[in-house]
Amino acid sequence: MSANKTSRIGEEIWKSVNPQTPIITEKPFSIYSTAFRPRTQANQLFPRRTRVDKVNAELVTLTYGTIVAQLCQDYDSDYQEVNKQLDKMGYNIGMRLIEDFLAKSGVGRCANFRETADMIAKVGFKIFLNVTPTVTNWASDNNQFSLIFEDNPLADFVELPDDGRAQDELWFSNILCGVLRGSLEMVQMQIEAHFVSDVLRGDETTEMRVSLVRYIEDEMPPEEE
Amino acid sequence: MPSNNRTVFSLIIINKAGGLIYQREFQPGLRKLSTNDYLVLAGTFHGVHAITRSITPKLPISQPTPSPATSSPGTTTPAASGYSYPNPGVPVTGLDYLETDKFRLTCFQTLTGTKFLLFTDPMTGNVETIVQKIYELYADYVMKNPFYQLEMPVRRAGSRIQDKQK
Amino acid sequence: MAAPPRHSTMLSISNGGTQQSGPNDKQTQQQAQTLPQSPGLRVPSNRKTIYDRHLNRSRNAELSRASFAYLFGEMVTYAQRRVTGIQDLEKRLNEQGYPLGLRLLDLLFYRSTSTSSSALSSSSTSSSPPNRPLRIITLLHLIHGPLWRLLFGRSADALEHSVSPDTPNEYMITDNDPLVNTYISVPREMSMLNCAAFVAGIIEGVCDGCGFETKVSAHNQPTEMWPSRTVFLVRFGDSVMEREKVLERAGVK
Repeated sequence: MSANKTSRIGEEIWKSVNPQTPIITEKPFSIYSTAFRPRTQANQLFPRRTRVDKVNAELVTLTYGTIVAQLCQDYDSDYQEVNKQLDKMGYNIGMRLIEDFLAKSGVGRCANFRETADMIAKVGFKIFLNVTPTVTNWASDNNQFSLIFEDNPLADFVELPDDGRAQDELWFSNILCGVLRGSLEMVQMQIEAHFVSDVLRGDETTEMRVSLVRYIEDEMPPEEE
Repeated sequence: MPSNNRTVFSLIIINKAGGLIYQREFQPGLRKLSTNDYLVLAGTFHGVHAITRSITPKLPISQPTPSPATSSPGTTTPAASGYSYPNPGVPVTGLDYLETDKFRLTCFQTLTGTKFLLFTDPMTGNVETIVQKIYELYADYVMKNPFYQLEMPVRRAGSRIQDKQK
Repeated sequence: MAAPPRHSTMLSISNGGTQQSGPNDKQTQQQAQTLPQSPGLRVPSNRKTIYDRHLNRSRNAELSRASFAYLFGEMVTYAQRRVTGIQDLEKRLNEQGYPLGLRLLDLLFYRSTSTSSSALSSSSTSSSPPNRPLRIITLLHLIHGPLWRLLFGRSADALEHSVSPDTPNEYMITDNDPLVNTYISVPREMSMLNCAAFVAGIIEGVCDGCGFETKVSAHNQPTEMWPSRTVFLVRFGDSVMEREKVLERAGVK
């Protein structure tokens, strides 16, 4: 599917406030009906609902900063542990956030991992952080890509502690890795995500590496009787 | 009955494992079931739904293979020839609705596996819009509530769904 | 209202010609590396540090309310793991809000003194110090109005003074529908809990930052129309009340 279409969906959802327009026209259902089913993106003309309730960005930024600072304090600046906790929090968020993403975007299952990557960058990040990271550096098997963040609202106002360690050990925005892991797991994709660079560490870019581990098979219903 | 019928009798939410996590009556019209019967209904429907999914014909191309990259239903490129249900880009669905002359049961399963069962008057139109609204309310008032534990019964947040539904 | 695209905001900032940002990347890097505040920190050469960004760049920016809800929810969940009871949980949320209040205070002052984008270099701010509230009422108005607007996009709903002669140090700020509680349903067995204790902590931070020793707590005061109506009880310390009397006599406003 065209990358443009995905970004348009993201943009539409983020921008317009258009609460009451029924997008899907009534159709009789059949056993194969896709009337309810999220369609393929190619068939998807419009998201079901184009609306994102908003708050002041600084409230979000400062709240996140408070969370990280609290973790650093609670774990005595053991940054490895802080990274782990942030990832865990993100995972919890992802498992919940995916429902909001699906309910509000109305987009459906992606046909392949490349489409998933586009969906994450152009719809997911657009809706929840109002940024659109660049999808790039695909591995030859199409199972690994990088997200490059031009801009990262979570890290506004942030300078890492000058203790000689934080810049080498702390991934300030590590919660995002967990969010991806949690939300994709809920739609049957096991992935691994980690940051490889961060401008907060003095790197030139902020880059996250995302790898598909496997598609999780539909569990069969438990044997009755 | 007015032509613009909006009668919604009740709503059931079933978690991924087939457990009943929410049941509320919105408008009278159906006889009440015992709590146990609701649990049985949820579990039974879950099983039947899974079976209706598994008997849906699959394209050879979407058969699971050992390679991790291609094992999801409906991955890879759509086959140019031999196109049939299901649409390769669309996951296999299952039972979408059941109907009697007194009510209609509509099932909406999210991509994450949660099922919303809506009991409506057979004449009620626009059920999908209603279900969509319910899904949004669920995403807001259940999933964003830190005191809600995933896959567990929906308690207090449920009343907020009910309030908003009216 | 759609927020302007972030990249355009950033562009206008880097072109803003403040004293810090040098004409090209190389110079900026050198300057940034010699900044006294951060001798040991590495910085990227492309000016992506907090010193190169305008403090007002996110002033009118918006983010999704859902993102806030998830973060706040995780904060509550995390706090819950480490506490023994409701009071303890509220105390912890309060502590999380407190540093936010201190920081927001600086931001508020900074913005209230330099509203136009022309007078923005740090030197001009320090030459015209902001007006720190000296009296209780001025402080409370700052919280009820500008602070609430910065955080929640609207003023608080009421500001009241205790009528009891025993508690002249008590004030109440009411929010009919606190944003932080939008999606939160507290379990029955914890019905006393109000997660807006976080906001109480913010208020406390602002007051303390202004030199007003205070204890602030959040209380559920639901009405039929506003089920999550919350009253923030602000209790000033004795030292504040004594100073208040002196300032009153001296005619300070």
